[in-house]
Amino acid sequence: MSASSSNLESLITLLVPSTRVDSQLRRELVELCQEILTSHIGQKQEPDLAQVADVVKRRLLQLSPNGTSALKFTNLLSRLLDEPVLSRKEESIIFLQALASSSGPSTIRPTLPSLTRPPPFRSTATLVPTEATKPAPKGKSNAEILQEYRILKGYAHIPELLLLRDTLYLLQGISGKYVYFSLQEDDENKIVFADDAAYRIPPSTRTLIHRLSELGYLYTRVDNFVREREGTAGVGMIEQSLCHHLQTQLTEYYRLIAVLETQMGTHSDSDSATTETGLSLRRLDVWVNEWRLRMRMMSVCVEGAREAQGGALVNLIHSYTDNGDPFVRQFTDQLLEEVSRPFFATLHKWLFSGELYDPFSEFFVSVDAGMENMPHMHPSSLVGGISLSGDGGFNGASGDADDFSTIREGGLKLWQAKYQFRQDMLPMFVGEAFGKKIFSTGKSLNFIRYSCHDSDWVITREKMSTTGGILQYNDITGLERSIDAAYRVASHRLFEVFLDKFKLLDHLSALKNYLMLGHGDFSDQLMDALGPSLAKPANTLYRHNLTATLETAIRSSNAQNDGTDVLRRLDARMLEYSHGEIGWDVFTLEYKVDAPIDTVLDPDSMEKYLKLFRHLWQMKRIEIALNKGWMRVTGGARTFLRVPELEPEWHKIRLIMAEMVHFIKQMQAYCRLEVIECSWKILIEFLNKKEGDLDAMIEAHRSYLDRVVKKILLWNPKHGKEEHLLNQVKETFATILQFREATDNFYNHCLSEAARRDQELDAERGVYTGASTTSPLHSQELAGLLNRVKEYGTSFSDRAQVIVQHLTVHPDLDCRFLGIRLSFSDFYRTRKEQQLQQKV
Amino acid sequence: MSTKEAERISSAQQTLDILFEMSQLLNTQLDKETLATCVGMIENGVNPEALAAVIQELRRESVALTAQSAATSPAEK
Repeated sequence: MSASSSNLESLITLLVPSTRVDSQLRRELVELCQEILTSHIGQKQEPDLAQVADVVKRRLLQLSPNGTSALKFTNLLSRLLDEPVLSRKEESIIFLQALASSSGPSTIRPTLPSLTRPPPFRSTATLVPTEATKPAPKGKSNAEILQEYRILKGYAHIPELLLLRDTLYLLQGISGKYVYFSLQEDDENKIVFADDAAYRIPPSTRTLIHRLSELGYLYTRVDNFVREREGTAGVGMIEQSLCHHLQTQLTEYYRLIAVLETQMGTHSDSDSATTETGLSLRRLDVWVNEWRLRMRMMSVCVEGAREAQGGALVNLIHSYTDNGDPFVRQFTDQLLEEVSRPFFATLHKWLFSGELYDPFSEFFVSVDAGMENMPHMHPSSLVGGISLSGDGGFNGASGDADDFSTIREGGLKLWQAKYQFRQDMLPMFVGEAFGKKIFSTGKSLNFIRYSCHDSDWVITREKMSTTGGILQYNDITGLERSIDAAYRVASHRLFEVFLDKFKLLDHLSALKNYLMLGHGDFSDQLMDALGPSLAKPANTLYRHNLTATLETAIRSSNAQNDGTDVLRRLDARMLEYSHGEIGWDVFTLEYKVDAPIDTVLDPDSMEKYLKLFRHLWQMKRIEIALNKGWMRVTGGARTFLRVPELEPEWHKIRLIMAEMVHFIKQMQAYCRLEVIECSWKILIEFLNKKEGDLDAMIEAHRSYLDRVVKKILLWNPKHGKEEHLLNQVKETFATILQFREATDNFYNHCLSEAARRDQELDAERGVYTGASTTSPLHSQELAGLLNRVKEYGTSFSDRAQVIVQHLTVHPDLDCRFLGIRLSFSDFYRTRKEQQLQQKV
Repeated sequence: MSTKEAERISSAQQTLDILFEMSQLLNTQLDKETLATCVGMIENGVNPEALAAVIQELRRESVALTAQSAATSPAEK
């Protein structure tokens, strides 16, 4: 210490030259300086060179903005650091800096005044300038006079300090002593000022407190919300995370209040109410200004959360992100990040494993409660989760479920109704197209997993995807990419499963080959084998006979080469028959499908297939009947029927029959080549592309089938005329059959006539060939037969003409083309003209 | 030994020069001798900020004293 005191003495002599002579003064100064040195000035901080250098540089820049001195200082500093002598360089620089700043013109050192004490040796009349800085409290200021006056009058203002404390209470939603929240239930957001006679709160202060207390009110609301949600069960996860976010925000808010409180505490230590460092109401206002905005936002969210739920809540918050105010934007972004996390967790599970884990039904996909009880359902998605949701808005969906459960749960129903897309729950930042994709992807995965029993694949996929990263709100593009990828993979897999594992293509071609009579040899065989028995009344037919015949037909045709899985499903059956119907009317082939193929080949589609089969079967029947008739007419008539006078009649019959054959052949060619094969090609192309999801597949098959049905049944889109043409064609078929019957009768008649004549000839030659049992030809009978033949012939012609006429104006191009085929070389038109001319 | 000592002295001189230049740059109005004393004190562990306060105080004293003497000297004359 002696070294330092000698140093001090030399310092004093250097700075205060008069001490060289005045030793007493020197001693006093030494004492003073010692005191200063042992005081606590600047002892708290740890010296940090970089920081100090920074301060100095800033200061230098302030003094000379061109920066040369700062640069110079940097140079000097680096040189100084190279020098090994000094051990406390930082302190030296701090010392220099402290001196420099104290000698600056405008800097005020707040710690110094408290230390400056008038030196004891000083006489009363010193002219030290420091004295002048302290205002002598001789005359009272106007404010003080006013204050005294008020106290005198009995309505003094409450000291701001007390109000400040109350306001801090208000900020926490607690009533203060002088200012408190109104206790009435109806106007909870009012604050009341306690006006006692002794203390008055001036109006300006009241306004200020009003402003401040808004925060307290908002705080109460948010806090109530959070607490309410904490206590109740069944709060959605999104809401829970909202609460969590709010709670963190509130904690921040508590921190602010704590800081403010300490400020107030330090301030209240010093006596004066006007110090510049303490807290005042106005300062408080500034401090909490940002929080006011934040609280408002939170309060808005809280309000929204009461009405919306789940995705809709996310939506609501998202709607605030489109705000010009960066503060609001940032706040909502942050909030959304937090709030959407459970949503994304659900999304992840749904997108990559096809599981809907949504116990509070907040996701934009909802599960159908009735469908949920399908076997192998995951236990996580219990029915209880649905019923827990307090919101009544979506109970309609679960109400529908009851209707579905009564219906047999086909694959299609399962696919279409098990999960539902909820538009209002879809967050806007996802977008509807992507929402649909997500929906479809999850559905596909779920379907693969549970309906196709291919869960291994899904699990593998899930494992792979979890390494890929987490879905987040702030990474929308990444989200979209992963959605796209997942969608592609899932639909591709679904196609694979359907085509490879479940052999959809085999089934489709089997339907085409059997129900649409694509296998010609098979249908010929079947027709041959069944034909005789089908002519019998329906009630004499037995199903086992039919199946046995079917078996025979399969065995004797190329169909035997088809897989057993396909043949197993093929079955013959009779429809519900009524009295008087024959086998032709009720016979049908059937193809049985089961899950999950019935998702594509749903019962409706099978119905259509059956309808097609019946029509085509009928056509086939006509064709074969005509073929046989033609054989008879051309072969038999020429060889046995030697009735020369009836030859022209036979010629006429042949003409009409040729027309009929042409009609049927064209009809069949049209069905086969123009309709079935063309549609089939489109379907196959789609299936080979392997794009789109199961919905697309169902849609493709449906359009294929619709196309076929419409064109084969010559369906007219005009209302009321849909089946007009079909009925015409059916009547034509009936006419052909009747004609065939009439021809047969005529044939028989001719045959017996020919036989009679042969007998007569034999008798003439004296050869007895048998008793002449038959009477000679009655002209009346013959005329009746011929009449009938002619009648059916013309009726057929007329009908064909009408059909052609209708077909030429048919809206469908293919049908119109059929008309052209039927009336090739304008056969029917010219004939019509001839008829018209004849009439004229 | 002597060369080392000389080296030490010269480097100390240099350090002082640098510090003096800095002090001029910062406009502390310290002369070289005072600066040397102060740096020595700081090296001995005196709190720099307190030391700065001391310098301030002494300056003020000096000013006050000269003012006093200026005020009294004409009266003496």
